[in-house]
Amino acid sequence: MAEQLLDQARDLVDGQIDFEGQKLAEILTTVLLSVVGAIAFFVGFFLQDIALALKVGLAGTALTFLVIVPPWPFFNRHPVKWLPVGGGRTAGGAAAAHQNVVIDDKMFAQN
Amino acid sequence: MYNSLTRIQNVFGFFTTVAFAVAAIIAASDFTAPRTPSSEIKMTNVQVVKGRPHYYSTKKEEYAIIKFSMDADLSSLFTWNTKQVFVYVTAEWPSAGTQNQTNSAVIWDSIITAPSSDHLANIGPATLKKLRRSAAGKATDPSRGLLSLKNQRPKYQITHPTGRIAKSADVALRLHYNVQPWVGLLTWDQGRDYGLWQAMKGGLTKAFSLPAVKAKDEGKKKKA
Repeated sequence: MAEQLLDQARDLVDGQIDFEGQKLAEILTTVLLSVVGAIAFFVGFFLQDIALALKVGLAGTALTFLVIVPPWPFFNRHPVKWLPVGGGRTAGGAAAAHQNVVIDDKMFAQN
Repeated sequence: MYNSLTRIQNVFGFFTTVAFAVAAIIAASDFTAPRTPSSEIKMTNVQVVKGRPHYYSTKKEEYAIIKFSMDADLSSLFTWNTKQVFVYVTAEWPSAGTQNQTNSAVIWDSIITAPSSDHLANIGPATLKKLRRSAAGKATDPSRGLLSLKNQRPKYQITHPTGRIAKSADVALRLHYNVQPWVGLLTWDQGRDYGLWQAMKGGLTKAFSLPAVKAKDEGKKKKA
């Protein structure tokens, strides 16, 4: 029970996302921060208020952190589909079908 | 971007880049704001007295006390990127002899804060409250650049390294300013136009001569 909880906590802190999610996160970071910078400048320039520009910039950056950092579900929509162990059918067999892969003391049963 | 830590590093890393770029654009935006400072300044009273540089000094020096009147319009210097403007008046006079040098000494100065930097002003709480109220609800306040001084006493009495300043000829007062922005380079008053930034109109008095040392003891002698 305690181990399960620890695992959940570790997953939450780790916040791993899939490959497509990583690509999306990269693009989102670039676009969001650039747009925030542009908005901050124009708001400050047209309202002639540099403190406002600073606030807009920092608020937008905080928002970007909130969007990018946690492992939101939309970053995990394309989980990697692994091939069956031992090449599946070709290696022929029941022998290969029940290999156990051990990672971090966790057993991954493949079939 | 695999786990949360790398995403934090990535976002923060690009944030610093964006912050630098925006700061650079803000600094560059100063060039789009025209600067049209102008002023009228004239000397109203001048006297030269003898004094000591400090209490225990045995050396006597001559000090010039130059009063002046000034009407200046520096309002165009106050944009959204202006933190404060330092205004100062110098007395300038050519060196005696053939040295071909110009002496220059500050006789009066003042710091004018923009509303965005009122909290940095080195003043008491009551004055600060008054200053804040003068620009309530405004992010910039160009009217702070309007100066009107009548027969202003100098802050600093000036002398020369030789200790002799009486009877100097061709002395003129000149108004200078130094714009200190939130982001970007310090800029001073310029001798010529650069794009939208014009050189100051006026800002220089007619040349005058300093009088002889004021005879302090004459009255006393008569009494004795």
